[in-house]
Amino acid sequence: MNTTTDKVRPEVAALTERFRREYGERAMTSHAIREQHSHGEGLADAGMPDIVVFPKTNEEVASIVGVCNAAHIPVIAFGVGTSLEGHVAALYGGVCVDLSQMDRVLEVNEADLDCRVQAGVTREALNAELKGTGLFFPIDPGANATIGGMASTRASGTNAVRYGTMRENVLGLTVVTADGRIVHTGGRARKSSAGYDLTRLFVGSEGTLGIITEVQLSLYGLPEAISAAVCQFGDLKGAVDTVIVAMQMGIPVARIELLDDVQMDACIRYSQLEFDPKPTLFFEFHGTEAGVREQAEMIESIAAEHGGSRFQWTIAQEERSKLWKARHNAYYAALALAPGSQAFATDACVPISRLTECVLETQADIAETGLIAPIVGHVGDGNFHLVVLFDPAKPEARAKAEGLAARVSARAIRMGGTCTGEHGIGVHKLDALVAEHGDAVSLMQAVKRALDPNDILNPGKTVPRS
Amino acid sequence: MLDRTFTSALADIVPSSALLTEPEDTRPYECDGLTLYREQPGAVVLPETEPQVVAILKLCQAARVPVVARGAGTGLSGGSLPVATGVVLSLAKFRRIVAIDPMARTAIVEPGVRNLAISEAAAPYGLFYAPDPSSQIACSIGGNVAENAGGVHCLKYGLTVHNVRKVRGVLITGDIVEFGADALDAPGYDLLALVCGSEGLLAVITQITVKLLPKPALAQVALAAFDDIGKAGAAVGNVIAAGIIPGGLEMMDRDATRAVEQFVHAGYPLDAAAVLLVEADGTPVEVAAEMGEIREVLTASGATEIRVSNDEAQRLLYWSGRKAAFPAVGRISPDYYCIDGTIPRAALPGVLRQIEIWSREYELPCANVFHAGDGNLHPLILFDANRPGDRDRTVEFGDRILELCIEVGGTITGEHGVGVEKIRGMCAQFAPAALERFLGIKRAFDVHGLLNPGKAVPTLARCAEFGAMHVHHGALPHPELPRF
Repeated sequence: MNTTTDKVRPEVAALTERFRREYGERAMTSHAIREQHSHGEGLADAGMPDIVVFPKTNEEVASIVGVCNAAHIPVIAFGVGTSLEGHVAALYGGVCVDLSQMDRVLEVNEADLDCRVQAGVTREALNAELKGTGLFFPIDPGANATIGGMASTRASGTNAVRYGTMRENVLGLTVVTADGRIVHTGGRARKSSAGYDLTRLFVGSEGTLGIITEVQLSLYGLPEAISAAVCQFGDLKGAVDTVIVAMQMGIPVARIELLDDVQMDACIRYSQLEFDPKPTLFFEFHGTEAGVREQAEMIESIAAEHGGSRFQWTIAQEERSKLWKARHNAYYAALALAPGSQAFATDACVPISRLTECVLETQADIAETGLIAPIVGHVGDGNFHLVVLFDPAKPEARAKAEGLAARVSARAIRMGGTCTGEHGIGVHKLDALVAEHGDAVSLMQAVKRALDPNDILNPGKTVPRS
Repeated sequence: MLDRTFTSALADIVPSSALLTEPEDTRPYECDGLTLYREQPGAVVLPETEPQVVAILKLCQAARVPVVARGAGTGLSGGSLPVATGVVLSLAKFRRIVAIDPMARTAIVEPGVRNLAISEAAAPYGLFYAPDPSSQIACSIGGNVAENAGGVHCLKYGLTVHNVRKVRGVLITGDIVEFGADALDAPGYDLLALVCGSEGLLAVITQITVKLLPKPALAQVALAAFDDIGKAGAAVGNVIAAGIIPGGLEMMDRDATRAVEQFVHAGYPLDAAAVLLVEADGTPVEVAAEMGEIREVLTASGATEIRVSNDEAQRLLYWSGRKAAFPAVGRISPDYYCIDGTIPRAALPGVLRQIEIWSREYELPCANVFHAGDGNLHPLILFDANRPGDRDRTVEFGDRILELCIEVGGTITGEHGVGVEKIRGMCAQFAPAALERFLGIKRAFDVHGLLNPGKAVPTLARCAEFGAMHVHHGALPHPELPRF
């Protein structure tokens, strides 16, 4: 991997000078700012940009990209840097376009259940803005990411089982193309079969086909009532089968999370909870008061048939938070299992019918490595994460952890799944993309060449350079 | 005409019964559901296996012969209109349901399988395939993917693109590619979304994995009458704005209800200016709660009458008119022309009133029957092709409706595709920068432009020729291009 040094190429220096002149304080070259824009939240595989520019309008983004395209200088779009797979590292230096100052909610169409925001709006800021309208934006990847970043990485989250991912919820985009032009895709009509689906092509393209500057999003009515439930199981199969049956019956669960016995053990210790260290399902239901009651009761009877025990459910907000506490603190509880260790998360996703098998094989694999790696799953989607802990002082420990992660990816692919359920490819998962989609990769590269012939947009990410 | 060497090479790939070259044999393929446009193909080939498809495409690529893939031929935009110097590749023999996996809730099917046949095969497991174009008894799933087909239930359950997991296809080079994945998310670029709705321009589909959904425990439909079409349009917005996403939300105006009532005898209120059909589905408790809210909103929006289906037979009866609307209109008028513009819901009242005004101006009756919840209009302009001037006025009326759709922020096609019919409209809807992306993608898949040429995406030169290119602030795009 080619990380940049502080030796600046002359054409980059000229560009830097120009951006400083045009953008004044909104163009920064200090080491601290460049370092901050060199990585996301995953393991640090930093690559520093030469300059960070903070545009405020579509036209400014278009002008920056146009200049970079003419000079063949890389451009990397940046939201708030919460991605996990090295998406924002400037592998070949260049210009980081930080969109955090494009943070306006442009319109909220209450009657049409949609809104249009600039790319730098964070999901929490959007929901704060929606307060009082009775609407909300449900996608919740955990981090308080920007909407632009979430669209670029096709983010998902704990309630995808009910509301879908960014793929289903982005209605249209404004995108700055590699040649510095502004393109509008999709729109306010709920469906269109006119032309190729550029909206979905740009969603998930990780800034490699264009820079998303505005996003039209679906919104949802706040549910009248929310209820939460927790149930423990003697074995993993009972828990997963409960979910499969619930899905087959069409119970519209809003969230279903699975914690394995190791993770539950960690949570019990961390938060002093009165649970058993057994595989546990956490549910949330959205609907009318009668509806959420009915859903909880249906789940209770399905769980009972599959060896579920200690079923608890509640509709009161305070009680709900208490029930879900274990899930909310899961990551910190996992880290507390081995103080001083570093951790990274895997992101396998398999068809739900293979989930039990995949998790059981993975647990046996973990046991063999001797590593600590609790499992948390968005089980309704077949997506599960290992938090793999390792001692940063021991290189062989990191190698072992990476070996485990590679086997998890390979296992998911073998079972008809993917190594990246929701975190994207970035730079870390390029090999796995080739393994999963060998035949389609050359087509993806052809699309990349068609839309970015000079390879200036976030080069080295999402698809291998051709 | 195709040359002899080429057709004899085709004959080496498929049995003689699967290759049609005589005009009387190829005539049935000269058009699809849009009969305004017709063309006799040079040959029609009906392969049965994927290796045959690969061989045919390789041959066409080598000889630079255009290929038009065809499903059941029910398309409404001329998407499978043949090319005189090309081959029609019919997927009619790909009609196996390969597997149904009730645990994963998916079905693997070949492209020639009829839409409804999938739901029928899934029914024993309590599952169904959600997108349900009105032509679902006849249309094929491969065509549904190519057009990104919709239907009555798409408001709640999404379009074809939302209900397909994986598509296997053959590129013009003969390479086999799988788009999408069995798991929830496929990494990398969303090529699956590109292929859905690509109208046969990117690949020939040979296998599809669709998602199946659990059949709701109960479904009920409310039939609401309104004395003004604008009020009915506003009621649609009010239902959605109340946070209700019904299983289906459809509208029929007076011309449409009168046409279908003679046909199905569903007891529609014939004096109403417009009728809404609003479906609630789910568990009995949910349906009861949602139906209560729907009633409230409809009443507050000025419904003059609301009936709710008591049982499944009555529910199907209420829907029967909607599903049979096109053939019913076909009975009362010698010809009709169906428009597919889609607009933001809030624009419905204004656009519907404008269509009423134009209908009087052009002296052409127009029956409105459509997916109101999606804002997807289907005005059916009734005309008589044998009456001088009717056809031209119909096309002009239709164009004005589509222009209005674009003006209010909508699209020229919600679910029927562009085909040959709306290729001019593409120049108006999309700026050159977007059209250039489309053309770049096309070249990435099919460098010689052999798959379904002349459809879906116009060249910039063609837009210039139409003079219909989007002119923004007086700046004529691509002034260098010749205009005819």
